[in-house]
Amino acid sequence: MMYLIKNGTVHIGDGRVLPECDILTEGSRIKDVGRMLHAPGAEVIDASGCEVFPGFIDPVSGIGAMGIPSRYLDNNEYSEPVTPEMNLKYSIDPDEMNAQEFYKSGITAVGLAPTNSNLMGGQIAVCKTAPQKMGQRMVREHAGLKCSVTSAVKKSNEKTNGYPMTKMGIFHLFKETLREARCEEEEKRSERQRVITDVFDSQSMQVFCAASSKTEIDGLLHLMKDEKAVINLVDAFCFADSLEQIKEQKAGIVLGNVNEMSQIAKNGMDLGKLKELLENGNRVAFTNSNGGYSEGREVFLWSAIEAYRAGVAAEDVVKMMSLYPAEMLGIADRLGTIEAGKDADISVFTGHPVTTYAARVKYSMVNGEVIV
Amino acid sequence: MNRVLIKGGILYTMVKDQEIFEGDILVEDGKIKETGKNIQAEDAQVIDALGLCVLPGLIDAHSHIGLFDFNHDKSVDEANEMTEPVSAAMDARYGMNPKARELKVAYEHGITSMLFTPGSGDVFCGQAFAAKTYGDNIFDMTIKAPAAVKIALGGNPKNTFGDLKRLPMTRMGVAHVLWDTFRKAKAYLDKKENGENPPYDAHMEAIIPALKREIPCKIHCTQYDMLTAIEVAKAYNVRFSLEHAWGASDYLDEIAESGCDICYGPIGTYRSPGERRKVDVEAVKMLDDRGVNVALITDSPILSEESLYHHMGEAVREGTDYERVLRMVTVNPAVQLGLEERIGSLEPGKDADIILVKGRLGLDTDAGVMLTMIDGEVVYRKSRNS
Repeated sequence: MMYLIKNGTVHIGDGRVLPECDILTEGSRIKDVGRMLHAPGAEVIDASGCEVFPGFIDPVSGIGAMGIPSRYLDNNEYSEPVTPEMNLKYSIDPDEMNAQEFYKSGITAVGLAPTNSNLMGGQIAVCKTAPQKMGQRMVREHAGLKCSVTSAVKKSNEKTNGYPMTKMGIFHLFKETLREARCEEEEKRSERQRVITDVFDSQSMQVFCAASSKTEIDGLLHLMKDEKAVINLVDAFCFADSLEQIKEQKAGIVLGNVNEMSQIAKNGMDLGKLKELLENGNRVAFTNSNGGYSEGREVFLWSAIEAYRAGVAAEDVVKMMSLYPAEMLGIADRLGTIEAGKDADISVFTGHPVTTYAARVKYSMVNGEVIV
Repeated sequence: MNRVLIKGGILYTMVKDQEIFEGDILVEDGKIKETGKNIQAEDAQVIDALGLCVLPGLIDAHSHIGLFDFNHDKSVDEANEMTEPVSAAMDARYGMNPKARELKVAYEHGITSMLFTPGSGDVFCGQAFAAKTYGDNIFDMTIKAPAAVKIALGGNPKNTFGDLKRLPMTRMGVAHVLWDTFRKAKAYLDKKENGENPPYDAHMEAIIPALKREIPCKIHCTQYDMLTAIEVAKAYNVRFSLEHAWGASDYLDEIAESGCDICYGPIGTYRSPGERRKVDVEAVKMLDDRGVNVALITDSPILSEESLYHHMGEAVREGTDYERVLRMVTVNPAVQLGLEERIGSLEPGKDADIILVKGRLGLDTDAGVMLTMIDGEVVYRKSRNS
């Protein structure tokens, strides 16, 4: 099946905007992007007057892996604080994901992630949001290691005699866990230790660590100072208070749900400081979650709007919704931009959702299939 | 006499059938004295509003700011007495922190009045009150108290008492408490009116203004519980609004027929079976089209106060006419609360709660408040160049 999305204003996802541009898709992939494309046999989707975007990505979503209304959330294995070997792929609940109608906010992929209850909670699995066969939805397992240094980790200490019960304990555990894994001879390493050395010594995937307060952010950056793994701060509501350190270590930011529980009032947040990070080459993305729990699809665009209101250029905000999360999750070869060869995950909006509220998804395409 | 002339703005007065026009507002001693074109007032201090939209201060008709405090590791809840299913006499003013940081965010975003409500951990949660968002003493900031009887159905009271293995631990149990309490309150009122002098009951006293239709009941309910609320409210002929109202698009006829008001929101919650199954902001347009008085609410600080813009924006996104959306955060909630004589529109005699806005709030995502005036006093001013 081929589609020709005609005559839209195409936002590539990397900052470029191409007016009156066409996109040709074939099967599940993008075949060509350019002006006045000819494709006999392709079904035409008229995008005149519309703004066309690559599918947006929430890199650390709980939705789709919680399994509500079961008694225990499937992304919350807090039987002990260190469980990096957990693979979120096995907690997927497609119905839970379908119920969100993510496509209405332009979100076509999410990184399913554990909550913040564990120091190391497990490995992120990236999944498409559209109601298609499961076999077509998985993009990448082992896409990131979800960690947390927030107070939520204290929840997982039942089996460990109450340890860790302080921030000191949490960071001590982090340090010791790394040291012990590295001290073990390679062939004797447990699966758990292997994941840890793969991540921290071989950079098999990036680290996504919940850190919200200044204490948490500074502590984490200090601990990671000499590590080679790429660190992304999740939630990061106090990022502006540690700006220089974040710049120096090129840490990424996955900004949590900004409009929830008084984050702006409480932290005196200055989202305008994101501009400095972008200029410095730090990656920034958005997530619907806050404290390890996700809210609905609308929140994603709201956070993007808050960044724009604070002075971040609209096309930089678009990068934060598409290219940067794709790079963080190591899936930029398939997702994040509208380019030939990439997955045909495309949203046609009636306006620019960052600059106007009067922007509805008119067409949504995932894996080259038209969802609406 | 303190006179201020707001000159040359684009006036959205919210007065019925009045078009948007370019004009002036004269403020005198905290009240609006006059609106119109080319108002002359030589002694007045002038505020230049050229190119700016001038609106009545926004109203958020359902908030818990100052009652819930998330500023600490463990959140503080002063909104729920919930030691009994019926706490109707609890007065939310006594739990309110007027120094809550969220209030500053509110008036800097042009929200000048709010309905602060207890709840929703038990069935009769207490007395809500309406207040301005700027001031030092909550009793001085208050416009009306009590302003509503707060009632909650569904998961919140059910979980509170389910944990204690007490009635009501089911939705039918909640409905039972609701019927039973109204029945008792009605009997109490009848006795009083017949001169029988029943033993004083503070909770029953608190429900009387609702039975007399002097103040509304604000009933937290979603999905099917909306029908339960309508059934009971009709039986006791109380004025009422359905709060949150997720799933309202499934009950349009029943809602319109009941004559109730709707406080819709917050939006932005994940969808899951039960109360969160359907979060359908498109319902606000459908209800508005049927003549239902709809207000948009944030439930702050659950969702933060600044998200009121996003709530307006989502209603716009779903096709609601922009000027209708503006009514949902100004005159509509004012009418719901019986405060339309004081707030919600720009008319002579009303409180001078006025905001100057660059761009169109709830439509242009970068629109912003340049100046907020409450009771004639400028409480916030943004530099025009920033």
